[in-house]
Amino acid sequence: MTLESTATPKLVGYTAISAVGLIASLVLARPELVALTAPFLLALAAGLALARPPQLSVRVGVEGDRLLEGEETSAHVVVAAESPSDRLDVYFRLPPGLELVDGTNPVAIRLRPGERRDLELAVRARRFGGYVLGPVYLRAGDGLGFVHWEAATAGRPQLRVYPSEAVLRRVLEARDTEVFAGNTVARVKGEGIEFADLRRWSPGDPAKRINWRASARRNELHVNESHPERNSDVILFIDSFAEARLGPEGTLELAIRATATLADAYIRRRDRIGLIGFGGILRWLVPGSGVVQLYRLVDALLDTQIVLSYYWKDIDVIPPRTLPPNAHVIALSPLLDPRSVGALLDLRARGFDLTVVDVSPVPFARRPTREPDTIAYDIWLLRRDALRHRLQRAGVGVTEWRSGESLQMCLEEVRSFRRRVHA
Amino acid sequence: MSRGGAVVSPPRTRLITSAGALAAFALVDVIVVTAGGRLVVLEYALSGLALGGLAAGLALRRAGPVPWAVLLAAAGYVLGRHDRSAVDGRAVVVGVLLLAAAELAYWSIGEHPRIRSERPVVARRLALLGALLACAFVVDVLLLAVSSLAVPRGAVLAAAGTAAAVAAVALVLRLGRKGV
Repeated sequence: MTLESTATPKLVGYTAISAVGLIASLVLARPELVALTAPFLLALAAGLALARPPQLSVRVGVEGDRLLEGEETSAHVVVAAESPSDRLDVYFRLPPGLELVDGTNPVAIRLRPGERRDLELAVRARRFGGYVLGPVYLRAGDGLGFVHWEAATAGRPQLRVYPSEAVLRRVLEARDTEVFAGNTVARVKGEGIEFADLRRWSPGDPAKRINWRASARRNELHVNESHPERNSDVILFIDSFAEARLGPEGTLELAIRATATLADAYIRRRDRIGLIGFGGILRWLVPGSGVVQLYRLVDALLDTQIVLSYYWKDIDVIPPRTLPPNAHVIALSPLLDPRSVGALLDLRARGFDLTVVDVSPVPFARRPTREPDTIAYDIWLLRRDALRHRLQRAGVGVTEWRSGESLQMCLEEVRSFRRRVHA
Repeated sequence: MSRGGAVVSPPRTRLITSAGALAAFALVDVIVVTAGGRLVVLEYALSGLALGGLAAGLALRRAGPVPWAVLLAAAGYVLGRHDRSAVDGRAVVVGVLLLAAAELAYWSIGEHPRIRSERPVVARRLALLGALLACAFVVDVLLLAVSSLAVPRGAVLAAAGTAAAVAAVALVLRLGRKGV
């Protein structure tokens, strides 16, 4: 490890005192002045004689590279010294979403030749996200503090913190299903368990499907028809054009948490899930199923952030494979940017089964106190209501979800709307 | 494996070292004031200024005032001796006290409020400081003993002193321009 040396103010100060003292003793020819200067000269000589650049090696590591929000892990800073270091300041920089629970950071330690120290720090993940820990800053000093040697480590461990998910008892079922087995009762008839209808027997129908009671009543053979259980394609559409933020919490953070919760719930039902991050940077994930897909999706969510862009985007920029024709699109948006609202209406116009979870920015915008501002605020609220009604008129299930409210309750609201619309 | 259990809190270290530096400086001032002289008011002013400067440096965690405070205190002491030809033995104590005050002041100022020091670090520095002060005392005693002898002051001795002074000034200028 290469260390950069720096003279401390003490070295400059002592040299200045010595120089002035020596000149003054020459000019004034007073032995007392030499007696006053000599201790400082002695300290300088001793300090510079003892000052040797330390030979250090540092290794940084974290136990595990994946965590859930609120969980703890241990970070290790291992410092080994080949030459002695009277004082070594070690500071391991933690990014804002992580907090130190146990251990001392920064700390000043002393290392003897050949000594190796493992500094263990217990770290808790406060907020989800992808983090790069470190670097470790080192500052070694000589015994008397005349010279410092400083360095920062190059190796920086990474840590991915996944959002904690709420449990959903029931999710919204897609209007159309796909061809693979799943948990959604399809609208079409086929091989399945759920009874659908009766029809006359026709050659080729298996005998086990004959409904003997109905056949006896009608004097001709009738067979049961059923609905198959199929999976569905669910596309989670996250709007990252704009967000409302107050302090550490914002609408994007809420939307990411809700997306992770929905993804987990749909994966459990063996549905295929995909992701579209629609914003300054377009991100997408082609639909897939299984736990691996869930991890892929959450990893993609961690990298989602607001990127300012004035470029007008519509849904044509989304790759066609990302949006299968019968997919149920669930959009999580604060409905703040006209580009995302336009894209949602466009999706609906193209026949997609669309649900919008309006991640409300209202709690993040304090109501003003002065008269003309309050009027503007009220108009803004009314325009948001009007926008939701416009979406509902287009057949889109819309629900307003606020921080602290149950997502399940909001989904039930959409479910009742969809039932009314389809009836 | 260590979680840095035995550590000394930075405020405590700062408080103790600051108090030590001010106490050492106050002792120097007492010596200067009790020595008397014809320019007592000026001596008082210089001593007070030195103590105030050091206190301000310690309070603001600024190293700049420390050398000035040391020089002012030394000037106050020398001012009290300007009309006396005999060598003063108390210069040994004043020199060691000034060094102790400067050492403790720099320690206090260099102590970062967030960096906790383990006990061996503090113990090592204390041991080095004690050894340094003891050596400084011995060297000062020897210096004053030698200077009190009747040694003829020739051109060679003056030239050596001048060379040492010039070298010190050159070192100051070099350090002022860049690091070590």
